[in-house]
Amino acid sequence: MIAERLIEAVGAEAVKTAPEDLAVYAFDAYTQSETLPSAVVLPASTRDVAAIVKIAAACGEPIVARGAGTGLCGGAVPTGGGIVMSFARMNRLLELDVRNRRARVQPGLINLELSKQIASTGLFYAPDPASQKSSTLGGNIGTNAGGPHCLSYGVTVNHVVGLEVVDERGEVFTSDVDDAGYDLTGVLVGSEGTLGIVTSAWVRLLRLPESVRVWLAAFPDVESACEAVSAIVGSGILPTALEIMDSVILGAVEAAFHAGYPTDAGAVLLIESAGFTDEMNAREAEIRAIVRAQGALSWRAAATQAERDALWAGRKGAAGATGRIAPNYYTQDVCVPRTRLPEALRAVERSARAHGIAVGNVFHAGDGNLHPLMLYDKRDRRQVAGVVEAGNEILQTCIDLGGTISGEHGIGHEKRAGMNLIYSTDDLAAMARVRDVFDPKRMLNPEKIFPAGAKCGEPL
Amino acid sequence: MSAGSGRRITPKSVDQLRDVVAACDRTREAVAIEGGNTLRGMGLPPARADVTVVTTALDAVLEHEYRDLTCAVQAGITLASLAESLAARGQYVPIDAPFARKATVGGTLAAGWLGPRRHLLGRARDYVIGSHVVLADGTLAKAGGMVVKNVSGYDMSKLYVGSFGTLGTLVRVNFKTLPLPQRRRAFVAKLPEGTRSRAIAQIAELAIAPAAAFCVEGYRKAIDGEDGTDGRLFVLLEGSSTLIERATRDLRSALGKAGVPETTILDAGAREAFERVLDATVACISDRSVTYHALGSPESIAVRSIAMRDLAHRHELFTDVLADVMNGDTILRVSRRDARAFSASVEIFDDELHAIEPRATIVAGDSPVRSSLLVWGQLPSGLAKMREIKARFDPNRTLNPGRFVGGI
Ligand SMILES: Cc1cc2nc3c(=O)[nH]c(=O)nc-3n(C[C@H](O)[C@H](O)[C@H](O)COP(=O)(O)OP(=O)(O)OC[C@H]3O[C@@H](n4cnc5c(N)ncnc54)[C@H](O)[C@@H]3O)c2cc1C
Ligand SMILES: Cc1cc2nc3c(=O)[nH]c(=O)nc-3n(C[C@H](O)[C@H](O)[C@H](O)COP(=O)(O)OP(=O)(O)OC[C@H]3O[C@@H](n4cnc5c(N)ncnc54)[C@H](O)[C@@H]3O)c2cc1C
Repeated sequence: MIAERLIEAVGAEAVKTAPEDLAVYAFDAYTQSETLPSAVVLPASTRDVAAIVKIAAACGEPIVARGAGTGLCGGAVPTGGGIVMSFARMNRLLELDVRNRRARVQPGLINLELSKQIASTGLFYAPDPASQKSSTLGGNIGTNAGGPHCLSYGVTVNHVVGLEVVDERGEVFTSDVDDAGYDLTGVLVGSEGTLGIVTSAWVRLLRLPESVRVWLAAFPDVESACEAVSAIVGSGILPTALEIMDSVILGAVEAAFHAGYPTDAGAVLLIESAGFTDEMNAREAEIRAIVRAQGALSWRAAATQAERDALWAGRKGAAGATGRIAPNYYTQDVCVPRTRLPEALRAVERSARAHGIAVGNVFHAGDGNLHPLMLYDKRDRRQVAGVVEAGNEILQTCIDLGGTISGEHGIGHEKRAGMNLIYSTDDLAAMARVRDVFDPKRMLNPEKIFPAGAKCGEPL
Repeated sequence: MSAGSGRRITPKSVDQLRDVVAACDRTREAVAIEGGNTLRGMGLPPARADVTVVTTALDAVLEHEYRDLTCAVQAGITLASLAESLAARGQYVPIDAPFARKATVGGTLAAGWLGPRRHLLGRARDYVIGSHVVLADGTLAKAGGMVVKNVSGYDMSKLYVGSFGTLGTLVRVNFKTLPLPQRRRAFVAKLPEGTRSRAIAQIAELAIAPAAAFCVEGYRKAIDGEDGTDGRLFVLLEGSSTLIERATRDLRSALGKAGVPETTILDAGAREAFERVLDATVACISDRSVTYHALGSPESIAVRSIAMRDLAHRHELFTDVLADVMNGDTILRVSRRDARAFSASVEIFDDELHAIEPRATIVAGDSPVRSSLLVWGQLPSGLAKMREIKARFDPNRTLNPGRFVGGI
């Protein structure tokens, strides 16, 4: 029995097999799998990971790496059974190199925890998914997570400089962006656990900015807020964050957080700019003038750190806050060229209305990364079907606008079919060649990323 | 054998390039891919080159949506043309290659960018949001798109960037762009040996990080052409006028503390001065020099660059040194007057250098001795995976065979 072999290798406390325990690992923040994993293992070291992979390989069981399970596309869900490997016990900051601004972390370390642990050094870790209070760095690396501040800082892959990886045979290798040879790090980040299991990572840290300002501009509607975003960026200013929330979301956020957002506006644009004190007044004046010219109804500057934090808490808690309006929500994650945002949003509205679904928008406007939140009740089969259909229509519209099917959440299990909409068979075959190198037998997170039945000789 | 031998073809269209490569793949002829050919001294030449495919006719700007901060170009465009076209809208892509008028976007990316501004702006690969590549069998594979955030499948562009043309030929690259900095200012100062490490330490502490900073020894043409044994300090600032004024005050006072006597400010010529430093990185002394690039860390740069230099001196080699203070890289050119004596010295030096700097690679040099040196430095841990990648993408070893790490 595989469980016995696992227990022998890593100890009984690190192996779970009771059905009620397994059930906890059958879903992520969106998907619930019908199959339970055959076991859940919690390695404590790279050596444990390697031993587990070898046992799994010998028993023909696939491995699904799992961080915090906050993924929104079924990436960490064992859709085809197998062993779920949770990194909850590998959650330490291993090394901190302040002078060279780097840290080595275990995959189970929670994103926000890293920045908290290093706060006294004047450094921080930039990628900040809205889920950063619970999502792990391993999961962030798996999905190449983004976040509100990625507009000027870049996404996870821009901050990962090296990896330690266990491959599908249980062998350990390392990659470093400065190594001679192909950029394995660049390909592994965002591979959603299908190319290797990350057991530690070197990440780049940034200096905390000298000055941070947060401003809030209210608009009559989402479209004018989007136009303001394009106008700011087109004028040569690149703030650290440009986030939009529409009236549906504002209502929910204010009810939950009392963050100080206006509830009578059609939309707000949250702007953050980080930099040097000397420049801030001029930058504020410039942005404010652009925003006014684009029809803003009001302008507010957060005066204190507490006010800034409150606004951000509202923004980062927006999805959860919709719990007050509807029992369930489904976040679609699509990205379009920033100037096409108004068209994309009109299409979202149209699709949702056609299927009788309420929708709220809270999104990384500066990146053109939309997150329509479709609000529904999952006990109502008609609503569920409506959400799925509206979601598919939105995908297609964004593709038609020159966009893509995922900006930051990943493909996972849920969006596999969409891959055929944006890539040709030849494009997908090139990706499959990489998969063939790292995971020829499809033992690492099967049924993810690649469309079902994708060809290239072998099952994906 | 070297690149450039055999037939030379300059395809006028992507389809023509596909046909040429596919035909060679079928007939088992080796293809060398050439952009501006400014980097022929990096790594080793292909072991075979029956056909050289030159990309420079594929040089169009395909799109520039300035309000989206994105653009798309054909890969044979030169860096200078790209920069000029984007500058018309006040934008740029921060790629700092030598000989920007000759170097192509495809060649620069294929060679893997390691520019001096990367500590601040990231690597060239971070600006690539999509690409089209012609694989060995002539297949056109597309990756990414025109959006600035994209996690739809593997980021295949990451694999092609830095692959030295051994996996495919880049024919189109989509970039995200940046607004051009409002102003640039360069500083040049004499750097007597005793002040060097103090100056480096002071620069590291600056609140406003310079875009680039180098301690230069030798490479006289790169800075001011003046004679003398003192080294030079070169610092580049970029940003708004307000920022540059403050950074200037901070820098002056920091250098004062380090005992650096006097600095010259270049405003109008800042960019040209920076380009001269970049060009120096691949400048050769006929066939009697080899240039090493050793990646280090800002913390260790002062000590390591000197250790490398002193080692070369012990082997009776002349040296020119560019110490990239912000990233911690050392560029070291070693040479000798007599070609034969040079080969003999450098072979022993190469061994000893790799004992202290295992990852040092050779980035320039026309000397035949190159083929007996450790041109790629220590082999990476992932080499077995890399070999398998090559085998999957180019099973017949058609593309730049032997050009890359570990004989890939
Ligand atoms: C309220 C909310 C807000 C969110 N906001 C954002 C946001 O702003 N930006 C954003 O990008 N995402 C966001 N997400 C999505 C999600 O948080 C991210 O995808 C996150 O990166 C997942 O991290 P995790 O630790 O939960 O990983 P999991 O969900 O457990 O796993 C994610 C993927 O990574 C793989 N993986 C996990 N660990 C490893 C490892 N060690 N080695 C290899 N592969 C591994 C898994 O197999 C899976 O494919 C949000 C989610 C929620 C619920
Ligand atoms: C010391 C040093 C410092 C450097 N610093 C920088 C820097 O700061 N910033 C920077 O950007 N670069 C830097 N470079 C590298 C830079 O990439 C090259 O100088 C030059 O830009 C290469 O362009 P090229 O067109 O002349 O390429 P070539 O010399 O023609 O080709 C280089 C390689 O790429 C392959 N290749 C060419 N075109 C293609 C294509 N379309 N598709 C696939 N493969 C192709 C060739 O086969 C060859 O292997 C540095 C190099 C050195 C040696």
